[in-house]
Amino acid sequence: MNEAVFNKLAEPTMKIKSTPETEDSLNIKYTATVGQPQCENAKFITRNVNVFYADNQAIHDVSLDIGAHEVIALIGPSGCGKSTYLRCLNRMNDTIDICKVEGQILLDNENIYTKKQDPVLLRARVGMVFQKPNPFPKSIYDNVAYGPRIHGLTKNKSELDDLVEESLIKAGLFQEVKDRLQAPGTGLSGGQQQRLCIARTIAIQPEVILMDEPASALDPIATAKIEELINELKENFTIVIVTHSMQQAARVSQRTAYFHMGRLIEVGDTDQIFTNPSHDLTEKYITGRFG
Amino acid sequence: MNNTDLVKQGLKKRYLKELIFKSMGIFSIVIAILFLLMLLTDITIKALPAFSQTKIELEVQIDADRLNIEANSPNEVLMAADFRLVIRDALLKRFPEVKSRKDKRELYSLTSMGAEYQLRDMVIDDPNLLGQTLKVKFMADDDVDAVIKGSIDRSLPESDRRVKDQKLSWITALESNGQISSGFNWHFFSSGDSREPEMAGIKGAILGSLYTLLVTLALSFPVAVSAAIYLEEFAPKNRFIDFIEININNLAAVPSIVFGLLGLAVFINFFSLPRSAPVVGGIVLSLMTLPTIIIASRSAIKAVPPSLREAALGLGASKMQSVFHHVLPAALPGILTGTIIGMAQALGETAPLLMIGMVAFIVDIPQSVVDPSTVLPIQVFLWADSPERGFLEKTSAAIMVLLFFLIAMNAIAIYLRKKFEKKW
Repeated sequence: MNEAVFNKLAEPTMKIKSTPETEDSLNIKYTATVGQPQCENAKFITRNVNVFYADNQAIHDVSLDIGAHEVIALIGPSGCGKSTYLRCLNRMNDTIDICKVEGQILLDNENIYTKKQDPVLLRARVGMVFQKPNPFPKSIYDNVAYGPRIHGLTKNKSELDDLVEESLIKAGLFQEVKDRLQAPGTGLSGGQQQRLCIARTIAIQPEVILMDEPASALDPIATAKIEELINELKENFTIVIVTHSMQQAARVSQRTAYFHMGRLIEVGDTDQIFTNPSHDLTEKYITGRFG
Repeated sequence: MNNTDLVKQGLKKRYLKELIFKSMGIFSIVIAILFLLMLLTDITIKALPAFSQTKIELEVQIDADRLNIEANSPNEVLMAADFRLVIRDALLKRFPEVKSRKDKRELYSLTSMGAEYQLRDMVIDDPNLLGQTLKVKFMADDDVDAVIKGSIDRSLPESDRRVKDQKLSWITALESNGQISSGFNWHFFSSGDSREPEMAGIKGAILGSLYTLLVTLALSFPVAVSAAIYLEEFAPKNRFIDFIEININNLAAVPSIVFGLLGLAVFINFFSLPRSAPVVGGIVLSLMTLPTIIIASRSAIKAVPPSLREAALGLGASKMQSVFHHVLPAALPGILTGTIIGMAQALGETAPLLMIGMVAFIVDIPQSVVDPSTVLPIQVFLWADSPERGFLEKTSAAIMVLLFFLIAMNAIAIYLRKKFEKKW
């Protein structure tokens, strides 16, 4: 490497103004959440949720309602805590030893973080779809049938067959795989795998489905199919979706919540958030000034 | 000078380094293969004679009067009869010129001590043979065997030769008469140890090893896999668990003879378990195998992608269900490989078993895990220690059998890994 390059690297960057705006440069004063974090007919009510990873606070005082049969999108820059918040809703954070959750999270007005609440039962009511498609290394049929089997949802083989078929139809996958239900689920394409994971989740008929960036590993066509699916699923389920794509949030959700550095900045109707955000930070994020 | 030139300048040196490293690697592999070939050829060449056996065909008259028994006697009487007499008569009939007592004794040693048992078993199998005269191929003595196989050089002067001229002339006479034959040594695989090289077999040691390994597997596999699952999936992360982990790793490094001393002190002296028995050997070896399987199983479980656990938990599976339905099947190839490697280690282990008395000279073939027995590596050790010439080839043959079992176990490990391996 020649000297000029070295000098350039060693030179302290004085031109902060030209780099993307950071928290320091913006001089943010965090205020209470703007918009309408509360809603009528709430499925989930969360109040003053704080999450810590050891000594590191990942979520600060988030209070948010999630209405029944709505699709709510959680958006925000990477590391803003939206996935962590999502994983609080079905206690998936329990698996991380150093993670501690404070505050109230109520599902149908019952606190899910009490000794009395069984996480297994909770997760049967609140299903989850992960960022990376993670089908079991089993057949397509067994993937979908696994949940109903462990929970004992069906009485006999034919009922189970019907349930598997129905779930695959709902997930929009049945036509593509009906001839090879015994083929391994891992042999499907990425988009098909993700729809298989959704079918697997809806097979246990949860009340809420949490989706953690379900389309981030997929191409645009597969993404479009997933979004279409979400639109159909909202008839029967409450859906919380974390996404990095603002277009996706705009397309699938009724409400949008914007997270920033572990804080809930703004919540509102999706149309209003994307056309007329109230908070400075929200506006900067959706116009692509940082993130 | 621009960057392209700078890169070009260094390229030659980089490629040279790569070349040097590659040739060093090839050299190392060639050396390793060479040593392996040397070992295998040496053992095979030495062992081959052990797989054939020399036999002497004699016309023997199984006379009930000579045996001092009556026709249609029960088996017990047949068992007690002295069949040596008729074999001796047959030898004398073949060589009528032998008269003196000393020469006769020399003549009688042409056939093996096992010949009378051979004849006895034939008669017990078919009592109608009593009173008949028939040709039987008797097992030859180890000296005759050595002469026929060429390990005793006939051209040496008599004083340097183990087999004297007189005996050699009998052997030559028998040979020219077509009464000496050679066949596959089934006896080696169907009988236990013996003081006579031609009668010594490996079956006792094979079964002893089998029983020992069965006990080892039955004890160490469930314990080790449970320990690995608990430590990996359920155990809290604290200092106590760290301490246990360190100790398991240390256990893997303990010299094996220490386990033998422990077995002697605890299982034999304190719990009064039988000496020389596969059950004690199995317990001692499972102590030794445990850390190997635990370490292999833990790394196999650790290698299962966390997304699989999350998927199961997200569907409402309990921790236990997620482990047993998904993590364990995915980790099974690694666990099985580790187990079989541990078993192979146990199969080749000698030192701890010396301590618990499995080094005893045992002729009987063990029928259960509490019968006294020996194991393959100790059989090798015992035969290598014996002065008789015939045991030299037996030693190499026993090593071949041991290696065969080791290779078979490794092949099974590879097969199982391929079979249970799933992609995700």
